[in-house]
Order: sequence, then structure tokens, then C-alpha cells
Amino acid sequence: MTVFLLVYRLHGRYHEMAPNVVPMDYTKDPDVKLPMQLIINMPELKENPFKERIVESFSEDGEGSLSFNDFVDMFSVLSEMAPRELKAIYAFKIYDFNTDNFICKADLEKTLNKLTREELTAEEITLVCEKVIEEADMDGDGKLGFADFENMISKAPDFLSFSFMFHI
Amino acid sequence: MKKKREIRNNVLKEITEKSGRRGTQLDCCTQCLRRTEVSFRRFRNSLSEHFHQLWLWHKTLKIIGGEFGTSVLSYFIFLKWLLSFNIFSFLINFSFITVPQFIAAEPNNLSFTGLELLTGAGYFQQTVLYYGFYTNATISKTENGASYNMQLAYIFTVGIYFVICLLILLFSMAKSFCRNFISPQTYSGNASKLLCTWDFNVTNEKAVKLKQKNLSTQVKEGLTDVHKEVQNFSVTERLVHILLHLGAWAASLGIAVAACSGVYFLSINNLEVRTDFAACFWRRIFPHGLQLLVLFLCRNIILKISIIGILCYYWLDIVAESKSQCWETLIGQDIYRLILVDFIFCLLGSFFGEFLRRIIGTTVCVSLGVPEFDIARNVLDLIYAQTLTWIGILFSPLLPGIQMISFFIVFYTKKVSLMKNCQPPRQVWRAAQMTTFFMFLLFFPSLIGVLSVIAVTVWRLKPSEECGPFRGLSSMFAAVSEWIKILENYTGSKWVVWIYNNLITSELFFFILSIIFLIITYLYWQIIEGRKTMVKLLRNQIVNVSSSFSFILFKVWLPC
Repeated sequence: MTVFLLVYRLHGRYHEMAPNVVPMDYTKDPDVKLPMQLIINMPELKENPFKERIVESFSEDGEGSLSFNDFVDMFSVLSEMAPRELKAIYAFKIYDFNTDNFICKADLEKTLNKLTREELTAEEITLVCEKVIEEADMDGDGKLGFADFENMISKAPDFLSFSFMFHI
Repeated sequence: MKKKREIRNNVLKEITEKSGRRGTQLDCCTQCLRRTEVSFRRFRNSLSEHFHQLWLWHKTLKIIGGEFGTSVLSYFIFLKWLLSFNIFSFLINFSFITVPQFIAAEPNNLSFTGLELLTGAGYFQQTVLYYGFYTNATISKTENGASYNMQLAYIFTVGIYFVICLLILLFSMAKSFCRNFISPQTYSGNASKLLCTWDFNVTNEKAVKLKQKNLSTQVKEGLTDVHKEVQNFSVTERLVHILLHLGAWAASLGIAVAACSGVYFLSINNLEVRTDFAACFWRRIFPHGLQLLVLFLCRNIILKISIIGILCYYWLDIVAESKSQCWETLIGQDIYRLILVDFIFCLLGSFFGEFLRRIIGTTVCVSLGVPEFDIARNVLDLIYAQTLTWIGILFSPLLPGIQMISFFIVFYTKKVSLMKNCQPPRQVWRAAQMTTFFMFLLFFPSLIGVLSVIAVTVWRLKPSEECGPFRGLSSMFAAVSEWIKILENYTGSKWVVWIYNNLITSELFFFILSIIFLIITYLYWQIIEGRKTMVKLLRNQIVNVSSSFSFILFKVWLPC
């Protein structure tokens, strides 16, 4: 019952973003996608530094436009009911800016820039990213694979359970 | 879509396999618990966002941390922590000692003139502020009703408060030391700071900006360790440095000796108010020498310890042995005046050290620039004030209340002065290690010194004959031993007598306790060392396995 209500509420939010485009009736499975610009203006996402990456990770066409299915997926993974393993996979996807299935140094630099509003100098950013890779890279390949990421997340157990979620 | 379904199915398969082994009931419970935990945290976050005043100074501390870094923030957190000690002490003293005294209070015949606020004498002498006013009787409201033994209440309240303080300090020190010196990587590693600290829940624009500022300040602080340049001095330069060090030490020791003798002679000659001024004034002029924080702290600490030592010697040896009517109240008044003068000097120091210095630095002598917040000196001021308060609790039970008010005012003064007059420190320190160091300073020499003074007072000194809850006894502790003697006659309380005789007053028990404590510490230390070696070995193993795997893949298998 609660799942139904949630989907109903999400549909309401999806519809109000573009009332002329999104139909109220989804029984015929219409092919409607909302562009990224509309989605990242939602109050839950507006102030988040990673808003573009979040929307891109859930988008099917890779350009950031979400169909209603993708929209529901996004909120379900970022809810309190999603399993940890699923959240870890998507967290890894979000931090992987160049989508090569590894968090390499360039990805870390972009992450750091987004987190600090570009207040650090290029030298400081390089130093921090080198230290991060030194600390978290277990297999010595110079970038973080999913196994390294999971290992690091396990040391900060609160992140997936409490910080990596939205509240609608 | 297919890829997403694949991921989801894989994950769900893994989870059902795992839960199949554990049983579904456990999952229900953990889910319920998880849900309640999340809703509690959400409630707490929304409270803190909308009603930030619910946590004292929470928002102010966040702003200070973002603007000036965690080292300046550590001073304010330390101040808040000391304030909590004083609030706790005031509450228990007020509830257990002062409120019963109000019931059995004698009327106050003296008149109130405003001067009492400065001297602590006069009208205040006959109030609950000082030890001398408390009765030694057993208070009871009705005949044969419940009675309240004031002597036991006094000594037990003060004793239990100090035991709790000791335990809290030991515990915080151990936790802080463990976290910051033994396992620094696993707790505040750069990787987790970068990838696992962002809270996706936060939607308030100001909160997001503040968090980003905090993070960038923390990153800059973390990098200063890397930036430490190795300076190679020539032999002559090193010699000059050593000579400067020695000179600074000699000068500060000389000033310490001069200050102590000055304080001692002034006290002996009963120039009371001037004693306080001398003590505070001498504390503030000493050479600033070199920038090394710890050296500076050590010199300053020696000066402060010697002054407090001289004052305690004067109080315990001279005032207590004198034939004056109520020596405990006299000591209480001395401490009251010292605290008041220290408070005034703290405010003046803020005015001269920061406000005037900024005016001079920006208008008259522009090369000096805007001052930095002097963390070391301010922290030592706090520790000095807290030491005085702790010494004074036995002689003036409501002193923590006065110190509470003074800390409140100091917090707001320092905050305003910091925001208006100071610039962020150029050399950023690792605040976590500094907090450990401050706690260590508070514990030893401050708390240990206070406990020794209290122990001497309670066990060795004869309380005054005509005033206070212990009048007529041979020592304050005699109240407890007499109570135990009374208890020996009741069969129901034999266990209390047994505990007293065999645990509290026997030296063997404490000896055994210390040995056990040392053994446990040694065991834990060995376990930690072993685990560190294990972690290193396992990490090497991972690297070896992956490099041998890629060797086999590229050199052996693929060419075939």
C-alpha cells in the first residue's frame, strides 16, 4: 500500500514539473521524458553539488533526461528502503564522472571541486586526490575500482544509511 | 532499462541469499529499527535546521569553524565543555547543599552595599555563597520526620562531583588520544572525507554553503602537514636559535620567581586586593620569543602553576593555621576576588590585545596588520579560571555559578572580538590533536593539583571552630569516619562498613586496582600493534596478488 502511495506522490511531482507534457494517465505507457534542466530545479536537488551527475546516472539515454520510470528509480534508490548494495552501486556511478567504471584521479578532482565550490588551488586539489588514491587504492592500479569503493564505504557506515538519501 | 534490471536483480539475488541464511524475521526487525533510526535522525536534523538555538551555540560554532578553521573552533568548543562542568557543579551544589540550607538559614544582619560584588566580603559573608554560613546540624522539617545530615551532604556532594569530573576527563582523554594519535587513518581519512561526508539530505542553501566552506577549510588544514618545509640552518643560525631559546626560558623562569615572591610577600602582608592584581598582572607580561606553540605553553604553564602553588601554600599553611574566625570563608573570598579580577583582565586582554591592536595595525603601523586569535593564551586563561573554580568549590559552593556567568560573557566577547578584529590563523594546526593536548593540560596539572589541595584540606586541616558544617571536628573527613562508627551498630548497614574498611581506606585495594589497570593498558596496546602489522601484511598481499594476476594475464595467457 505504501509503495502505491509513494508512486502516486512521485507521479504528482513529475506531473507538476511539466503539466503540459506529462499525461495524467500512464496506462498506455507513454514515451515521455523530461530534460535535465527541469529535474535539477526540484527543491531536493537544487542545492546539491552533484545534481547533474545524479540525474545522469539514472537516465537511460545518457543525456540526463528522465522518463517516469527513471524518476521513480532515482527516488527509490535514494530512499531509506533501498538495500545498501544497490545504493553503493549508484553512489559509485555518481562519483564516476567519465563513466569508465573506475573513479580515477580526474573524477576525484571534479568531486573535490564540487564539494568545495572551487575554493582550493590546483596544487591543493592534486595533493588531496593523490592522498585519497594512496589511501583507498587496494590493488595498486592508481584508480579506485568498485571493490576499493566498497571497502572505503564500509569504514563510514553512516553514509549509505543516513546521508545518501532524499526525503520527499 | 535492461542494464538497470540486471543490476537490481543481481543485488536482490545476493540479498535473498544472505537473508535466507539468517531468516526473514531478523530482516523485519532490522528494517523496523532502521526505519525508526532514520525518522529519528530526520527529526533531529529538521529541529537543528529550524531551531538551532536548541543546541547551545550550535550555529555560531559552525560559522566560526567555517571562517577561522578548526583550531580556533577548538578553543570555543573547549570553553563550552568547561561551561558544562560548571553548570553540572552548580546544579548539584545548589540542589544538595544550598537548598537544604535555605530551610535552616539564620537571618542576615548585615546590609548590602554594592561594593560586595567586587570584594566578596560584607553582606555576602552571611549568605549561602560561603562555607561559613552552612550549618553543621541535621536538618529536619518536622519532629521525627526525615532528616538531612548537612555534614555528610557537604562532603559527599563535593567528593562525588570530583570523582565524576575525574572519570569524565579520563574517559575523554583516552577516547581523544585513541582517535587522534593511535589510529588517525581509519577515523578521519581523506578518502572518507571526500566521498562519504556529503549529506544528500541537506536542501537549505545557507547550510550547503556553510558545509562547503567547512570542508575546504578542513582540507587546507589537512594539507599543512604536507607543506612543512625542511629548513636547513647553518651552524651559526642554529646556535643563535638555541641561545634565544635559553634566553627566553631564563627570562620567563626569572619572571615566574619574581612574580611568585611578589605574590607571597603581598599576601603575607595582607594586602589582599593588590595580591589579586599582582597575580594577574605578572601573568600577562612575558617574552613572546619564538612561535613554537608548545614551548610557549610550557613556559606559561610553569608560571601559572607556580602562582597557584604559592597561593595554595599561603592559604593552607598560613590562613588555615591562623587564629582567624572563619578561615574557610576567608579563602573563599580570596578565590572569589581572584576569579573576578581574572575575568576583568580577560576582557581587558581582549580589548587591548585584539581591538586596539587591530586599530594600530590598520591605521598607525600598517605593516603589523590585523592580529590573529591567540589560541594558546586564551586556552590557558580558561584552564587557570577553571582551576581556581575547582579549588574554590569546597570553600564557596556557589562559585561555579559565578564562573558560569563569566564564561557566558567571555564566550560572547571573544566571539564578537574574533569576528571583528581577527584574521584566520596563517599557520593552521590540527585541531583534533590540540584538543587532546588541552584536555591533558586540564587533567594534569589542573585537576590533579586541585585534588591534592582538596585532599590536604579534607584530611589534614582542622576546620574552624565557630562556623561551617564541620565545626568542632578534628578534620573534615572525621565526619565520614564518625558516621561509619555509628553505622557499625546497625546490622543492616554492615556492608557499608565493610566497603569502607576494606576498599576505601585500604591501600592494598588501590594498589591491586592500579596493577590491573596497567595490565589491561599493556594488553590493549599489544593488540593494537599486532593489528597494525596484520593490516600492513594484508595490504601487501592484495597488491602482490593483483600484480601477479596482471603479470600472468599479459605475459603468459594472452600471448598464447
